Order: sequence, then structure tokens, then C-alpha cells
Amino acid sequence: MVELILLSRLQFAITAAFHFIFVPLTLGLALLVASMETMYYRNKDETWRKMADFWGRVFKINFAVGLVSGLTLTFQFGTNWGAYAEFMGDVFGPPLAVEALLAFFLEGTFFGAWIFLDRNRQKLKTFSMWMVALGTNISSLWIITANGFMQNPVGYEMAADGSKVVMTDFFALITNGYVWYMLVHTLLSAYLLTAFLIMGICAYHFLKGNNSKVFKKSFSIAVTIALATAVMLPVLGHGYAQYVTELQPAKGAAMDAIWETGSRVPMYLIQVPDSSTGSNSVQLLGIPGLASFLYTGSFSGKITGLNQLHQDELPPVGMIFWSFRLMTVLGSLFIIEALLGLYLQKSGKLYTSDKYLKLLIWSIPLPYIAITAGWIVAEVGRQPWLVYGLLKTANGISSVPISDVLLSVALISTFYLILMVFEIYLIKKTVVNATGAE
Amino acid sequence: MFDFLTHDMLAVIWFFLWCVIWGVYFIADSFSLGAGLLLPFIATDEVQRTQIQSSVGPFWGGNEVWLILAAGGTFAAFPLVFSKMFTFLYLPMMLLLIGLIARGISVEYLHKDENPRIQKAFAWGWFIGSLLISLVLGVAFANFFKGLEIASGGVYTGTLPGLFSPYALIGGVLFVFMSVTSGALWINVKTEGAIASKAGNLAKKSALIVFILSLVYLAYSFVGIEGFTTNYSATPALYLLPVLAVVGAVLSMFFAKKGRGFPAFCSNLLTLLFIVESGLASIYPYMLKSSISPDYGIDIFEAASSHMTLSIMLGGALVFVPIVIIYQLWAYTLFKEKIKET
Repeated sequence: MVELILLSRLQFAITAAFHFIFVPLTLGLALLVASMETMYYRNKDETWRKMADFWGRVFKINFAVGLVSGLTLTFQFGTNWGAYAEFMGDVFGPPLAVEALLAFFLEGTFFGAWIFLDRNRQKLKTFSMWMVALGTNISSLWIITANGFMQNPVGYEMAADGSKVVMTDFFALITNGYVWYMLVHTLLSAYLLTAFLIMGICAYHFLKGNNSKVFKKSFSIAVTIALATAVMLPVLGHGYAQYVTELQPAKGAAMDAIWETGSRVPMYLIQVPDSSTGSNSVQLLGIPGLASFLYTGSFSGKITGLNQLHQDELPPVGMIFWSFRLMTVLGSLFIIEALLGLYLQKSGKLYTSDKYLKLLIWSIPLPYIAITAGWIVAEVGRQPWLVYGLLKTANGISSVPISDVLLSVALISTFYLILMVFEIYLIKKTVVNATGAE
Repeated sequence: MFDFLTHDMLAVIWFFLWCVIWGVYFIADSFSLGAGLLLPFIATDEVQRTQIQSSVGPFWGGNEVWLILAAGGTFAAFPLVFSKMFTFLYLPMMLLLIGLIARGISVEYLHKDENPRIQKAFAWGWFIGSLLISLVLGVAFANFFKGLEIASGGVYTGTLPGLFSPYALIGGVLFVFMSVTSGALWINVKTEGAIASKAGNLAKKSALIVFILSLVYLAYSFVGIEGFTTNYSATPALYLLPVLAVVGAVLSMFFAKKGRGFPAFCSNLLTLLFIVESGLASIYPYMLKSSISPDYGIDIFEAASSHMTLSIMLGGALVFVPIVIIYQLWAYTLFKEKIKET
């Protein structure tokens, strides 16, 4: 049984992480391409048309994989997480159905229309892209509403026999505080990822000596978005950290590997947690009270340590700690890079700053890594719970033959790997072949 | 909301909606599936492949969402059925998934690369994806109508080979050919030139095959499938469903022969819709019928969500399903011109 649960989790982790490689760029580029279409429709400036065409091509390639890989997640709630589906269906099913009804239909229908409408029907084409952008962004509300219940169950009661949750207040599901924290955080990080991808691609062309208007303009839009989102993310994250520490003390304490309860808890710049001893094997450069401030809002705030919490309900501390550190370090790097980019652009040195441009190209994968790390904190940090406080992960799986799951993990992973390689190849080709003049 | 309806009434309404959503999915996706099934065989060059791709390209994505809605709707309204359906049929569902991914990627990436080998690979990817989708769904639905091997206590005792009974195989092949006919007629209506007439000629043959297969399938259902006639005997008006399916097949054959693509296309959709609905009408009140004993099946009342969830979902569906249908139909009017050989 242990192996089945591990395989089921592995498959979900692989497929969810894979799907979310494509989602953030879809969310961000849809809005940007729609804006470019609008600008072209309004003032018929060819630069906007070229921008919409080029970024639209990148969008199309990325969108296709995001669309199909989302199906896998819906399927798996039934195939691999049947017990969960039965336990949660009354509450979890409606957001998924509403997501299809309100968001996927808009995305699916108008994506096709946007691709096949030509520039003679610019008004309709623009409208279609806005509908795609609306659909993708609405979709994130509903899926995070569903996820929000797993993190912070609200608006429900247990069925009389305790076998499942029953919805009592749909409005409470949507107004769940967790949902709004997570939604804004997710959307901002998606826009940041999009901005860094655009900056990286523009940097590639600047390095090649191609300073066409398409890339210059794209860069200046992207760098503004990058800076705004990079600054907003930690501000919001601070509020989120306090909120989550109240909701799920173990997750909050694991994010900074705080083992012992205390007030005025320091944050160590260098720290290596060790779950086997329930302490840090290395801790250096402590800033007094900083952890208390981050997780309670007050420098003298009290944080409950991991050693004082239920020992059989602790998540894997190391994984959460390192993921969280990685995310925050990268987050700081994004602020510096964005500031630098804005400065270089304003001072006119951007196109000759080869080192910075190279850095930008290498930075394209970083927001992807930061976002995945963030999801690991959110989802692994909830363990051993599948639905926080209500259902343990081990009790959520389907009893299917282990050989079947083994086969599906192998099949899907191989298939995804091929898809990924080809997708990157196509985007790379699109980027390399673009001159900015077509 | 809907406090004047009892829980049982809501469950029945949702079963009806569930049948409608599946029906809409099958007809909406049929022509993209059919186009994929035909593509590697009838398109001789990139021009013709592009014609076929452009004929379904604007629509397939939006149409596939009906399948997601069917799955999501099952999850929300009948969680128990959602769980059991996907767990019992684990490997078939994985094959369906692979088919959906292969089809989606292939349609979108068909000519994104100039390399003829890669183009060919995607043409076959579209074919294999479409074949998996229509075959798996055809076999799965035939099994739903026949009943799955659900023993007492909801324990599933079926095996993978056990799903491929002669009845299920006929069902699978019928679904494939209904899709082929749909795709051939769509290409015939939406394109111009050699590919259009080739598809038109092919439709004549495949419409005939659909007619024969649907007769065999329906006869088998009514004579050879235990419990199939129960609801029909209780409510003879239901016989209208299989009759309409056969009428559709006859008309589709007739119009295809006359070279009138559009009425033939609509008639074939009629067959597709009512083949599905004839079967669904037979299993009520079960959603997962048991072939071992009717008592072991999972019925709609047992599987249904709470009154609140069912009524919120009903409200949502009554408002948004018509809106979706309106803008999807509107999208068809945006691409009225036939696709030329350019």
C-alpha cells in the first residue's frame, strides 16, 4: 500500500508540475497579446501588429500544451484519487464544473477564433484574444477556490456518517481568505514569469545586434511589469506567511525550520535543518526577531516550534525549508535584475550591456523554478493532510492495481518529456528566426 | 435555490442534464475526430492537410470542453460515479487521456515545423489520438449500457480483456465510423477542390457502414443485453430514440448519395446523438449498471451530491450552458467561407 500511495503522489506531482510550466505564461501572455491587438486596432501602428504576431506565435505554442496537460489533472481526481473524489465531490466538484463552464469554454472557443481570424477582422480578433485572456484568468480563480478548500476548509459540514464533506455555503468557498491570497500571489508570479521570459528573449536579440522596435518596445513593457510584480510579491508574501502560520502552524514553522517555540525568533541567513535531530545542524548570521516579524507581524511575536506540534502531523521539513529559501532568494534576485534593467534602459546603456543581457537569457528558467518551489511549499507543506485537518493523503487514493499506476506513470512521463522537448524546440526556433521586421 | 424540488427530483434533472452534456460532446467533437481519422489517408499533400486542419481548427478546442464539462459535471453532481467510473476503467481512461493529448497537440502543431517527417508524424498523431478517443469512448459507453462487473459492496471484478465483448467492440467500431462519416461530410461541406469531393465520395460508403452497424448494434442492445428493454417497456415513448437514430442513418445515407453534404452531416449527428441517448435511457436510474445483479449497480439517488450542490450547479447550468451554446454557434458564423486550395 505504501508503494501505491507513493506512486499516486508521484504521478500527481509530475503531472501538476508539468501542467503548471505552461499555465503562468498563458496567463501573462494572453493579457499582453490582447493589449497589443487592442493597440494595433486603435492606432494601426505596424509595430504593435508585429508584436502581437510574434508574441502570439509564442503564446500559441505554449497554450496548446497547457490546454491538453490540464485534462490529465481532471482525470486523475477519479483514476488515482477516487476516495478523495468521493469524500470531496460535493464541495470540490462544483468549482471544477464552473471552471469548465465559465472559463474553459471561453478559452477554447475564442482561442480558435483568434488564430483563424485574419487582420481584416482586427476588431473581432482583438475581442477574441480578450476573451481568451478573461477565460484563462477566471480559470485560475476557480481552480484556486478548489485548492483553497484543501488548504483551509470553509462553508461545509461533515455528513452524518462522517464519510464525506457536504457544502453548506457556496459563498464562503469563494470568499475563503486563503483563495484570495493565493490567487493574487499566483497571478502576480505568472505575470513576473511572463515579463522575464520576454526580457530574456529581447536580450537575445539585442545581443545579436537586432535592436528592432518590436523588441525595444516589448522590453520596456516587460521590465516595468517585472519590477512592479517583483516588488509586490514579497510584500504580499509577508501577509501570506502570517496568514498561513495561523492556519497551518506546521507549514509556517517548516518554511523557516523553526524547531522550538519562542518569542523574538531570529532568522538565520545560513541555516541547515535536520529533521532527524529536530534542530538545525548549522545556523549562522541570525537577525534577531526577524522570523517573529515575518510570521507574526511583530518582532516579539511568539511562534510555535515544530518540536511542540503533533509529531505525527509534520510535513517533510527539509523539502519545505529549501523550497521556500530558493523561492525567496530568487525573488530577491528578480527585484535586483528588474531594477538594473530599468536603470540600464533609462540611461541608454542597455543594448551594450552584454553581461546583463546574458544574465537575462539565463534568467528565463528562474521564475519557473521559483513558482514550482512555491507550489511545493504550499502543497507539500500541507502534508500529511490532503484536505487540511479532514482527510489524510494516504486515505485519498483509489485502490487500483499498482501495475496499472506504474504503467501510467511511465507512459505519461515519457509522453510529457517528448512534448516538452518539442515545445522548447519550437519556441526556440520561433525566437531565433524572428527578425522583428516581419 | 430550487427549494421546491426534492433531492430526488434534482438528481433526476441532473441525470437528464448529464445525458444532454454527453450527447452534445459526442456530436460536437465527432467531426474533428473524423477529420483526424481521415487525414493521413485522404490528404495527399501539405495543401490538403492544411485545408482539413483549417476546417476544424477554429472549433475543436471549444468543442472538446464539452468532455471536460461532462467529467466536471459528473464530479460535481455524482461524485461516487465519477470516482468509480475512472477507477474501474483505469487503463482505458489513461488511453483516452493519451488520445486527447495526442490529438490536441497534433492539431495545433501539424505544420509548425517545415520538416516533412515531423509533419507526417503529427498527421499520424492526430489519427491515433482520434482513433483512441472514439474507440475508447465507444467501447466504454457500450460497457456502461451492458453493465460493468460490479459485485456486492461495489467491488469491481472486471478485467481489461473482459471489456472487449463482441457488443462493446461493435459499439467501438460504430463510434469510429460515426465519427468518420461526420468528419468526411464536414470536410465535404467546409472545403473546396479535390479534397472536398474525395471526402464526399468517402462519406457515401461510411454512411452505409454506419447504417448497417447501427442496426446491428441496436438489435443486439434490445435482444442480447440483459435489462436493456426494462425502461422501454415501462415507457414506450422511449422507442422514439432508437427510431430517430435509424432515421438519421437512413437520411444521412440518402443525402450523402445525393451529394448534399450539410443535410447528410446533420442526419449523421442525429444518429450519433440518439445512439448515445438510447443506451443512456436504458440504464436509468443506474449510472453504473451492474452486469452481475441490478442491485449492485450505482444509481443516481445514491451517487447524487447534496441538495445545495445540485441546485447551485443547476442554476449555473441553466444560465451558462445557453450562453456557451450561443457564442459557440456564433463562432461558426465567423468562418462561413469554404476553405480553398491555397
